[in-house]
Amino acid sequence: MNGLTQIQSLVTFAWWIALDFSVLLYVLLDGADLGAGIFSLFVRSEHERGAIMSAMAGTWDANETWLIVAGGVLFGTFPFVYGSAFPYLMVPLALALWGMITRAVALEFRHLAEARWQRFSDIAFGVSSLVTAFFGGMAVGAVLQGFPLTNTPGTVPTYVGGPWRFISPFSLWTGVAAVVAVTLSGVLFIRARFEKAEPIRQQAAAWTNRIFYLALAAVVITLAASAELFPWAARKWLGPDAALWALVPLAVVFAAVQMRRAVAHDRDLAAILWLNLGVAIMAGAMMATIYPWLIPGTWTIYSGASPAVSLFTFTLAMGGFFPIMLMYNAYQLWVFRARVSALAAYH
Amino acid sequence: MQSNALAVFLSRLDFAWITSMHILYPPLTIGLAALLFLAEWRWVRSNDEHWYRLVRFFEKLFIVNFAAGVATGITMEMAFGILYGPFSQAAGPFFGQVLGYETITAFMYEAGFIGLMIFGWGKISRKMHLFATFNVALSSSLSAMWILDANSWMQTPAGVVLKDGFFQVVDWGAALLNPDVLLGFPHMLLAAFELALCFAAAVSAWFILKGQHVALFQRALKPSILALAVVAPLQVYLGDGLGRVVADDQAAALAAMEGHYHTYNPDGSVDTSWQVIGWPNAAGDDFAWSISIPHALSLIETHTWNGKVTGLDDIPAQDRPPVLIPFYSFRVMVAAGGALVLLGFWGAWLALRGRLSAERVSRHRWFLRAVIVAGFLPYISVWCGWWVREICRQPWVVYGLMRTEDGVSHMGVLEAALWLAGYMAFEIVVWASVWYFLAKLMRMGPDLTSPVAADGHQHLGELEVPKHDPDALPSYIRPI
Repeated sequence: MNGLTQIQSLVTFAWWIALDFSVLLYVLLDGADLGAGIFSLFVRSEHERGAIMSAMAGTWDANETWLIVAGGVLFGTFPFVYGSAFPYLMVPLALALWGMITRAVALEFRHLAEARWQRFSDIAFGVSSLVTAFFGGMAVGAVLQGFPLTNTPGTVPTYVGGPWRFISPFSLWTGVAAVVAVTLSGVLFIRARFEKAEPIRQQAAAWTNRIFYLALAAVVITLAASAELFPWAARKWLGPDAALWALVPLAVVFAAVQMRRAVAHDRDLAAILWLNLGVAIMAGAMMATIYPWLIPGTWTIYSGASPAVSLFTFTLAMGGFFPIMLMYNAYQLWVFRARVSALAAYH
Repeated sequence: MQSNALAVFLSRLDFAWITSMHILYPPLTIGLAALLFLAEWRWVRSNDEHWYRLVRFFEKLFIVNFAAGVATGITMEMAFGILYGPFSQAAGPFFGQVLGYETITAFMYEAGFIGLMIFGWGKISRKMHLFATFNVALSSSLSAMWILDANSWMQTPAGVVLKDGFFQVVDWGAALLNPDVLLGFPHMLLAAFELALCFAAAVSAWFILKGQHVALFQRALKPSILALAVVAPLQVYLGDGLGRVVADDQAAALAAMEGHYHTYNPDGSVDTSWQVIGWPNAAGDDFAWSISIPHALSLIETHTWNGKVTGLDDIPAQDRPPVLIPFYSFRVMVAAGGALVLLGFWGAWLALRGRLSAERVSRHRWFLRAVIVAGFLPYISVWCGWWVREICRQPWVVYGLMRTEDGVSHMGVLEAALWLAGYMAFEIVVWASVWYFLAKLMRMGPDLTSPVAADGHQHLGELEVPKHDPDALPSYIRPI
């Protein structure tokens, strides 16, 4: 599957960046919502749980839009990857999807539900946030491990390995790590979204400390496991450019320290931005490590690309809709930026 | 290629189920968004509070429906890859690209503005809000265009060659403007408008019949019915045109939906008769009994008295679609469409004689009851129409080029059955909660007391001071 012209290879590369960008934005934006949902399982006051949902009511759908955009880019630009990776990831994707939809129903319809159903729908909201984060993380781990393809001349290589192959100690671990990471993001979100005097902010502050060290440990373990399991990763990290790669953890540590300082000084937005910067640096480093693979050992970004990729479509999307979407996202976050209290009205 | 016939059948059933449960919602989103825009526009123009109350009420119903549409729609985006992996790979260069266009130019666009439309009341100016509603309406229609384009290409796959196991696009123009989409998209779009008109009319008729808020809902009922009197006949016209496209490009599909088993009669003359109803024989190669009208089929499909229409016996046995479901689905769709035309004319006749005025409308109880029943007809039509389209395309997933068994993922029977059971439960829960919440909103009725949303001004750089009454319970826990 590699008959791309030079310009097409360039466009494919650019689409790959756009795909990763969409996934990263999804993780940063919706990760906070998922984490806040997980945190809500440990919140005792039903008013506070309702207020957590109110705090994301105006923006959660726009945040999730980035995942759908990623799906659209994947199908449109990398159909060979989409059509083989999705059968491989059928179970985790179906469960993550179940979680996302249950969350949406619990959140949107809470104010319409009878009082006795509210407790149930609050639990559903928290559990589905947990399920989405865990299986989303598991899917990422399974992708990093790659999967075998058929090899029949005259047909597109596809996946025939059954629905359970995605399960491995590594993918189970990445599921756990994802839960830890989004919970950190979630408590920072809670701190930023609630009025400063609210007791829930104190609870979130206590969590921030503990979760921070858990997240740090999760990152270190994931890196060590990757270096051990994946020769393509070890080869790059420990190769001739090792000095360059060593800069990445330094940058991440710097962002983490800044984040801690921001939390300590009650600068909530700054804390979120420093966390996001740290995550973005790690995501960028991961992409650079995997390149030129899209799915390590299975599809490169060029072999998985549609031969119909065109500069025209790319320009349309990048020149027109991505900037509008970004501007709109920013405007929406701005409109709904006001801090809420446990008495936040759901309107 | 998937060789287990049961697994293929289950995969088809899986997809049929999630598609059928998805298509319940987007047509109302598309049509109602346009109606909301028109009503809000009248409010902004005339400052008449009635329109504002109607917009706010129908917007609540809209949101419930929209949320269900998104939930079931995301399922679809994943299901193409999961259930039809090899198809997604082979058709990806065209099909995936078009769905990608849909994501970017319609979904992103719509999701952007819908948050503003729902939560922006009182936060942004009236005109900005109207602009948001307009964009929701436009983007949802655009979404229908791309989806129908992709589906129509599966019916009439133009502009591609099948090489190295996948469809290579040789002519983008021909593929995008394939023969089926030119009428397929207008037919679907009009169906969405017709459905929304019937929905708005039925909701209004329900309140009027109960004697609640008559003056308010009369304003929604009358224009909806008048519009239906125009839209419903137009839809019949478009449907007839689309039927002839199918006759030209998909002879097997047309033969199946019309139950046209034989091109020629036993005496050698052209079989021109149109089967009104009938039941296939045990062998499935002819009707055991049927009621037919001579010459009608030739008139409908060729617009001539004795024109030849290809029958199923001219199609190789392994390429014939099933007959029973499409045959009856098609008839139900046509009957429902015809009933809506009659209802539209009935309403227009009443309106012309001034009988749908706020004072007199409540007296026409049978008309109001008919309008409520008619609220369900477009849903049945949309389902039936979609089943005709999809089942008549069998045994192909891309008509004439790729068979369904070559397009499905390599799932075992157990996985396909588990997926089906899981999503049956899931979609039924979504459907039941939509019903529950719509019914609840109907019982609550429109909010006529809270103050009309003022022009809010959220200029960038202005910090909002949080304001609440510390003693009041928040509205999200207020019993409603």
